[in-house]
Amino acid sequence: MPDPLLDVRHLSKHYGSATGLLKRLSGAKSAPLIAVDDVSFTIAQGEIFSLVGESGSGKTTLGRSLLRLIEPTTGEIRFDGTDLCTLDATAMRAMRRQVQMIFQDPYSSLNPRLTVRQTIGEVLRVHAIRPVAQIDARITELLALVGLPAEALDRTPRNFSGGQLQRLGIARALAMEPLFIVADEPVSAVDVSMQAQIMNLLLDLRSRLGLTLLFIAHDLSVVRYLSDRVGVMYMGRIVESGTRNQMFEVARHPYTQALLRAAPRPDPARKGTEAAVRGEPPSPLSPPPGCHFHTRCPFATAICRSTPPPPETVAPGHVVRCHHHAQTHVMP
Amino acid sequence: MTEAVALSLSNGPDSRKAAVWRKHTGLIVGATLLGVILLSSLFAGFISPHDPLQHDLRNTLQPPRWAHPFGTDNFGRDIFSRVLHAAKLDLMIGFLCVLFPWMLGTALGAIAGYFGGAVDTVIMRVVDTFSAFPFLVMVIGIIAILGPGLMSMYIALTLAGWSMYARLVRAEVLVVKKAEYVLAARALGYLHGRIMFRHILPNVITPTIIFAMTDIVLVILSTTSLSFLGLGVQPPMAEWGIMISEGKGFILTAWWMVTLPGLAIVLVGLALSLLGDGIAKLLRERA
Amino acid sequence: MMALLDIRHLTTQIPTPRGTLTVVDDVSFTVDAGECFGLVGESGSGKSMTIKSILGLIPPPGRVTGGAVLHDGQDLTLLSPRAMNAIRGRGIATIVQDASSALNPVLRIGKQIAESMLEHGIVRTRAEARARVIDLMAKVGIPAPETRIDDYPHQFSGGMCQRVVIAAALSCNPELILADEPTTALDVTIQDQILKLLLALQHDLGLGLVLVTHDLGVVAQTCQRVAVMYAGQIVEMVGTADLFRQPRHPYTMGLLNCVPRLDGPADKRLTPIPGAPPDLAHPPSGCRFHPRCPLAADACRSGKPTLTEVSPGHLSRCIRQDALTADLWETAVA
Repeated sequence: MPDPLLDVRHLSKHYGSATGLLKRLSGAKSAPLIAVDDVSFTIAQGEIFSLVGESGSGKTTLGRSLLRLIEPTTGEIRFDGTDLCTLDATAMRAMRRQVQMIFQDPYSSLNPRLTVRQTIGEVLRVHAIRPVAQIDARITELLALVGLPAEALDRTPRNFSGGQLQRLGIARALAMEPLFIVADEPVSAVDVSMQAQIMNLLLDLRSRLGLTLLFIAHDLSVVRYLSDRVGVMYMGRIVESGTRNQMFEVARHPYTQALLRAAPRPDPARKGTEAAVRGEPPSPLSPPPGCHFHTRCPFATAICRSTPPPPETVAPGHVVRCHHHAQTHVMP
Repeated sequence: MTEAVALSLSNGPDSRKAAVWRKHTGLIVGATLLGVILLSSLFAGFISPHDPLQHDLRNTLQPPRWAHPFGTDNFGRDIFSRVLHAAKLDLMIGFLCVLFPWMLGTALGAIAGYFGGAVDTVIMRVVDTFSAFPFLVMVIGIIAILGPGLMSMYIALTLAGWSMYARLVRAEVLVVKKAEYVLAARALGYLHGRIMFRHILPNVITPTIIFAMTDIVLVILSTTSLSFLGLGVQPPMAEWGIMISEGKGFILTAWWMVTLPGLAIVLVGLALSLLGDGIAKLLRERA
Repeated sequence: MMALLDIRHLTTQIPTPRGTLTVVDDVSFTVDAGECFGLVGESGSGKSMTIKSILGLIPPPGRVTGGAVLHDGQDLTLLSPRAMNAIRGRGIATIVQDASSALNPVLRIGKQIAESMLEHGIVRTRAEARARVIDLMAKVGIPAPETRIDDYPHQFSGGMCQRVVIAAALSCNPELILADEPTTALDVTIQDQILKLLLALQHDLGLGLVLVTHDLGVVAQTCQRVAVMYAGQIVEMVGTADLFRQPRHPYTMGLLNCVPRLDGPADKRLTPIPGAPPDLAHPPSGCRFHPRCPLAADACRSGKPTLTEVSPGHLSRCIRQDALTADLWETAVA
């Protein structure tokens, strides 16, 4: 197997561990908020890997730390062999040519005062991606690539629909000609009838440009449509990861199973009366000891309450963090 | 309600004009008034019938009449000419004493908000120190150190006024900094200067302009107050505050010496307030 | 039998500088006691505006310009604001999308649930109110209601806040609940819990429930009948099972084909609906969906289709409704 394009090792992000002056003087140490907790995964060239989880699971923090928009606390982010965490500001700036991001909220991800020409032209000029004379031609080319007409050139964001704005966000990222894109919930703020347009666009771009994508989402059906491999996050940890088939057909972790059962399906025959999982996620400020999911898990035993489960490989490429993964697959 | 529907449906030019007028009465009146004041102060040299500094001891304390529409003062100087010439000076001071604090406050507030951390703490503690003093007390204190005069007044009003702008801009930057387009600018590897001047500042500047429009009235009032107290512009220059100060001894015998420059201050204040509110409304609608 | 809520030709317009927007356009439907009725559509389709029109809560200068909302023998659009206040909460309760902002952050939870009971004179004494609030909180699944009654909203998670809002809605024994995207802001597992709770309560208390959502999955699992809205109009109205089995409007067909699913083949490419919903200030001529419709003919550009019956209980607003089949759709989009 060739080296993966992205190799994340033991990445963690902690917030607010005694940074205030008063706190430091008094010597009082408050427990940090652990947003991302020792996460490791790899993404191969040309692959779409999805991270799925609910709000507060740390998926957005993780996505942003990969680009060092948030500085990770510990861990390595090996991109094409280079550890991004060790780069200085100048080297990291150069690296951003290859690693780009698409944002969630199409309405706030573009500067409202700039026209399309200014927004995308700026990218091309600042990084000298094209000679000045070719910039307009390149912008038109990029617009065509994401399915927008050339007339869009001199309009400002307020003149576009949510779906079109999301295309512009994608065009801006593509202007850098990146190898790898982090897409943070790019369709969750887009209207239903336009979500498929954006998803198909991402799939087309992957096959045409050979892009590698980290796709962050909370909607399992979207993830199933787009991904080659999937990781499920719960309270900062990846609790299960595997290929799409492994995750959607033979999920082993009780949380993955609960997510699958809870997702509403456009199938009137499948009306249930019992909720898929009881309870609410605990506060991230005081996560339960052991397995974070044990407070809501129907399989939880004493060991789950004391010891965090280690990652275990149950099939090639299928990793589960559950003490009882051998039994859980009998779950309906 | 039905009228409103009818109005929006009938797009005749007259009804549209009427709607604009009704919506922006304050803006139009304020702009017109200020325009007239500005023009007459700019062309004070042509309009004013007399030299504002020319003494005429045969014609002292004349009440308003055709040759001296606003009357004359105790030195026989033409008050109308003096009011016009003073308008130029007062408006310029008002404008500059808002421009300097606006620039200083915006720059420091933006730096504090954008970089955060220790930079933010240091700048904001300085802001706190400056805002701890009452405005006029600080202005008078600084002038007391520097000595009275026009230049001292510029410095004092700038130092006393910038902290409000810094606070305002910092708060706005903290909001805009979290917008995804700023995050995108960082992801695109832009340098801090570009992110600040192209992506953050243009999107936070509106509220500071609205604030500056009201601030300018306060600054003009402060200027005249300082000159009244003998701390700002020095006699014999024509300035409204000085004129009122000089006239206060004659308030019972020559009411026009105090009243007419005072009226000029009221008019400018009114014009700027109407204009400020009108522009604020316009900017809010566009945003 | 008289329906619990009978909406006839409801029309709501909002004048704007760009022209008058007809945000609710000739909408008619009924809701019976014990029935869950779904209103599904995208943002700007008029589903939330329909709910606001029913409640008389259209922000001025917008207003209901036509039609009737019949409830309990009276037309709500004709009521005085005061009489309407008595209906809101008492006969018709609402549940909004963002529960945490619907609660007042400085008032204790118990007080907020009790508020409308005291207002409408359901309970007389504070002790009586407290007992009933605890009872309601238990009913909506809030653990340890005796202690949590004195908490503040910030001590509650999003899901728990939504339960509080539901308890407040139930407090005055309404006959009808209007729920506007009640689970959109919630996580999947919590959404599942809240939907199941709403359904159980609706079933146990025999309530009428109008559920507004953009999620076809939510509709499928909760509603008996559903109306699909597009650009202010109902384009299709039918029993939920039939909506998914044999849709008779191209927009519904498009929606069903463009949402990814957890069942079925994983690699089947989705067929997006091209374009974007229309600007209501300048709606397209003829059928409002025709610029995005793969089956549009010349007649669709000129003639305005009406909502007519395809089969008993199945209404569609499409001039080609009789010819519409899954096969025809497949060939048109291919």
